[in-house]
Amino acid sequence: MRTRHRLAKWLVILGVLHAIVVCAGFFAPYDPIEQDRKNPYLPPMPLHLMDAQGHLHLRPFAYALKLREGTFDHYEQDIGQPVPLKFLKYGAAYRVLGFLPARIHLFGSEDTRICLLGTDAYGRDQFSRLLYGGQISLLAGLLGAGCTLSIGLCVGAAAGYFGGWRDDALMRVAELFLALPWLYLLFALRAFLPLSVSPLKAFFLIVAVIGAVGWARPARLVRGVVLSAKERDFVRAARGFGATDSYLLRRHILPETSSVLLTQAAILIPQYVLAEMTLSFLGLGVPEPAPSWGNLLSNLQQYSVLVSYWWMYLPALAMVPFFLGYLGLASSLQERLEPYKIERRSPGSLA
Amino acid sequence: MKNRRAGPHWRRTFLCSFALLFLSLGQAAASPQQKSIKEELFVLPGEVGKRGGRLVFALRGEPKTLNPLIAADTRSREVIGIMQADLVHINRATQLTEPALAKSWKISPDGLQYTIVLRHGLKFSDGQPLDADDVLFTFRVYLDENVHAPQRDLLIISGKPITVRKLDARTVVFRLPKTYGVGERLFDGLAILPRHLLEKPYQEGKVSQIGTLATAANQWAGLGPFRLKEYVAGQRLVLERNPYYWKTDVKGNRLPYADELVFLFVPNADAQVLKFQSGETDAIAQLSAENFSVLSRQLRGYTMVDAGPGLEYNFLFFNLNDLGEKTSPELTRKQKWFREVRFRQAVSAAVDREAIVRLVYQGRGTPLWGLVAPGNRRWGNEELAHPPRSLERARALLKDAGFSWGNGPNGESSLLDSEGKPVEFSILTSSTNADRAKMATLIQDDLKQLGMRAEVVPLEFRSLLDRVTQTKEYDACVMGIASYDADPNSDINVWLSSGGTHLWNPSQEHPATAWEAEIDRLISEQMIARTFAQRKKLYDRAQEILAENQPMIFLASPDILAGAKNSLGNFQPAVLEPYVLWNVEQLHLKNAPENAPR
Amino acid sequence: MISAVASRLAQTLLLIFGVSVLAFLFMDLAPGKYLAEMRLNPQISQRTLAALRTEYGLDRPLAVRYALWLRSVARGEFGFSFAYNSPVAPLLFVRARNTLLLTITATLIAWGIALPLGVWSAERFGRLPDRLLSWATAALLVIPDLALALGLLVFAVRTGRFPVGGMTSLDFASLPPADKLRDLALHMTLPVAALVLSALPLLIRHVRAAVAEVLNAPFMLAARGHGIPRRTLLYRYALRAAANPLISLFGFSIGALLSGSLLVEVVMSWPGLGPLLLESILSRDVYIVIGGTLFSTIFLVSGNFVADILLYWADPRIRTKSGST
Repeated sequence: MRTRHRLAKWLVILGVLHAIVVCAGFFAPYDPIEQDRKNPYLPPMPLHLMDAQGHLHLRPFAYALKLREGTFDHYEQDIGQPVPLKFLKYGAAYRVLGFLPARIHLFGSEDTRICLLGTDAYGRDQFSRLLYGGQISLLAGLLGAGCTLSIGLCVGAAAGYFGGWRDDALMRVAELFLALPWLYLLFALRAFLPLSVSPLKAFFLIVAVIGAVGWARPARLVRGVVLSAKERDFVRAARGFGATDSYLLRRHILPETSSVLLTQAAILIPQYVLAEMTLSFLGLGVPEPAPSWGNLLSNLQQYSVLVSYWWMYLPALAMVPFFLGYLGLASSLQERLEPYKIERRSPGSLA
Repeated sequence: MKNRRAGPHWRRTFLCSFALLFLSLGQAAASPQQKSIKEELFVLPGEVGKRGGRLVFALRGEPKTLNPLIAADTRSREVIGIMQADLVHINRATQLTEPALAKSWKISPDGLQYTIVLRHGLKFSDGQPLDADDVLFTFRVYLDENVHAPQRDLLIISGKPITVRKLDARTVVFRLPKTYGVGERLFDGLAILPRHLLEKPYQEGKVSQIGTLATAANQWAGLGPFRLKEYVAGQRLVLERNPYYWKTDVKGNRLPYADELVFLFVPNADAQVLKFQSGETDAIAQLSAENFSVLSRQLRGYTMVDAGPGLEYNFLFFNLNDLGEKTSPELTRKQKWFREVRFRQAVSAAVDREAIVRLVYQGRGTPLWGLVAPGNRRWGNEELAHPPRSLERARALLKDAGFSWGNGPNGESSLLDSEGKPVEFSILTSSTNADRAKMATLIQDDLKQLGMRAEVVPLEFRSLLDRVTQTKEYDACVMGIASYDADPNSDINVWLSSGGTHLWNPSQEHPATAWEAEIDRLISEQMIARTFAQRKKLYDRAQEILAENQPMIFLASPDILAGAKNSLGNFQPAVLEPYVLWNVEQLHLKNAPENAPR
Repeated sequence: MISAVASRLAQTLLLIFGVSVLAFLFMDLAPGKYLAEMRLNPQISQRTLAALRTEYGLDRPLAVRYALWLRSVARGEFGFSFAYNSPVAPLLFVRARNTLLLTITATLIAWGIALPLGVWSAERFGRLPDRLLSWATAALLVIPDLALALGLLVFAVRTGRFPVGGMTSLDFASLPPADKLRDLALHMTLPVAALVLSALPLLIRHVRAAVAEVLNAPFMLAARGHGIPRRTLLYRYALRAAANPLISLFGFSIGALLSGSLLVEVVMSWPGLGPLLLESILSRDVYIVIGGTLFSTIFLVSGNFVADILLYWADPRIRTKSGST
């Protein structure tokens, strides 16, 4: 009973988080690619309810930030200029799910922008970029991890189950995949793609390629588990009853691999989301000006940003709930699918 | 001393003369700090420093070789520059030539003959003497076609090599096939090689294979202020003072001041900044504006210097290559826009150069409208217009050229060409150069205001070069070039239509347009003109033509930023490379004890 | 047994051959060649470039270049580096040694931390300590490797206790042996920390998952009933049963000994294979890259081989198969 509740809890949490990202247009106050060259590296603008004179406002507001004279990126609050937050405001145009045009946003402001998480080097609102960025990144992570795990599962299961020369051959192919300098192939791939291919499409292609290439590691893990599982008594018994290979694999052996697969999935999704940072180094990442979590975080790879603009860390903090959600989901799924039901029968059952 | 017969007068004299003899012998036997009478040394003006200590600098990677004949990468050349010396040197601070190994030089009235007189009594770092035979040997090797030395191309003027002849042990005569406006500047950086070490390998055909980093210290020699001491693979290169160096300060102390010079290999720019901050290195150069700001914020025992505008120019250019049938129809269509001069002028009018200087260089830079950056004191064309950014002018130019505006798919206004197709193209940039990537993003946004849709496509640098110079399959590109010298000759391959860095249409066999032919003529003339006034007039006109036609839309030029510990004396960063180490022989540690332990 | 090992060896040789051929092919496909950068240098003419190209053999067909390279391998040189103008093998050996110093230490420490932590976490599956560890793991996953390495360097500068990158101090050669060790250890601390921190999330999660799976198995209950003490239960019984995926992971750890530390080495100027390979990749110094790839392949293959042997030894269920069929 408890496991089912736990699973539901994680599903709901992840569902809400993803819904926010899918409806980024509504939740984000501004256009993510709109530059504001007069306000680069604006720090986050905290919301207040009480102003300097001690009056309580019903509507939260923020103070506008002005550039200090003679500096490039030092701002100070202008107490005389409160900017009220307005809910359900009309703002920049966006499309729900890519085709329904809409202009309504959860919140916004008149004239001066309220940047809850500050701005980047071009003055673009980080909060909006964070929400929109999730769309691309989560899709890339799920896509990449999905490709990797499905291919890895098939190959690993085949290798472990059939054994013999097939096992050897498949494992050597896996080693080949792991050993090759794929960097060059990626350079070549980028070169072969005509420049007129939209860079966004090119990016997804690259993600698929990476996903397809990265199957070797999960394949080996799965193979190990299958090797051991196929000699189990219940498998032998089922075989004795005349079960076919595919039945054995499907009903008995593959469920054994669930723990490994789920753990890998929970790790791979964030890894592929962040792999985009390495891809950008090669010129294969999400192109400007589109935001993605990878390119939001890649700003942190410069020393000057690391020590001067602390708010550039905030996207990382925002990603943690997502990855925690995946880890939690993986754990509770593992509990659910386990043949030895993992229950807490008594506190400290091993103590 | 048992000469008791001698009186006290005699004994005193004998003792005194013996003492004198002993002292003078001792002096001569000591390390050659005293000038020997026959040496002619170069006296450098400037602050007199303390002797001793160890200077530590960071290199952005490992040098690959110590041999000037094969050094192609920047790090090797940086290190070689410190271990070798040239006949005539360009003073990086004044940007003018000064005698180096040569005591003086004379140019014949027809401008074709350079007679160079070497200083007397100079020695290589291993003590062997330098004479005209070394110079002769050096240039023979440089000019030898089988050696493929990169220096060879510098010694070919108007298609013919220069010739070298020895007059006597101190005098060498260079004969040029044609007059050369660059003059004696051509000798800068041409290291004089030690004949006693290289002649045998040269005769065996192996001269390109020696001088690797693993060479033993006593097998290598040069005329620079420091000589090889130790190389630790992957970590550092240690150089020690050249005791025979031929420069002194105004007080007669032989330079360099420092006992040792250490290069640490630090491939990552941010790691270099951190090492400097922690005090592990004595100076830092080639800083980005952001790192300069970070360092300037907390000055813990060091000073940061903005040396002013440098010689680097960044620009946007379009693909103007004529590829004939090999062009894809897409590119042909786009090239119709690119070839329209008003299109390029409109793009130039729309670019927000001031924002580039502010957001990319944090204000430490200058906007550019021409190839000659403000760091170049003498050659910029002062009359060139610097039109401010104007979207209206851009739109007017586009309208004149037959473009119009319509409504794009998202409801925003989009620029259409004369056939009604939307104007879209891609801008390539190097994925590793953050500054240029930023410029491309800013330009992308600027062009959006005109209704053009530009995609920024970062490519890894080699792939980028391949596309631009080999396959020529690209639309537009943002690149930058840093001239290595103020003289126009350093950019000659950009100006000439046959040049390899004439990026929008490189290595042409015949000039593709009338204005490129005109530029070719002007540049070739200024190459052989003899006076500065003549050359400047021709060069000014060339810059004008470039500005009228905008094949390169110039963007901005960064300042040269550097920093050093407060204890580093004579720190005077220059805007020509090497920015900090150009006067390495004069750098000294103010708190160095004499003969500091090593 | 011997025949299995022999056949494995033969397969490995075939694999290495295959990797070298494919690596050559890939490098050829990638745009841009070694001399490309020299083309931008205004001081070098096209003719010199063409001559250099012939000298380096860059204009010969792929098959010829491969054959020449094989000959060089037979001579023990592993090809020729354009940039360094020297054979590849000595360049690689020194740096490989430095990399291994770092990665072996980091691997041992990472596993040394991950095993107990993962087991501890599996014991408390779903409860607060386990959840806290989950959060820490998620947080670690999110930090990009490069930012982690830079962050540690900033830490070094701020505290002043650790050297900012590099492997040895300037005076290393003149130090007494005990001090030499201390100097090396001090320089190793930060890179090893970066490597360990980036490897931990994966290892901990897998150990936790694998051990949690078996903790409530009947045989564990039986063992507990026998009164076997807790630590023995966890480490000798549960861990061995859960070892299967962990052994495969361990094989990967071995396999990544040469290649896993590239980024950390570059940022922390550790003189290992990483900076050399990275620069050679970017400048298309092909033979260094191929030599490095082959070195890494050897480690990879050995890692998997060791893992397979361990699997057979540790999991009797796999052994029964080979015994019974």
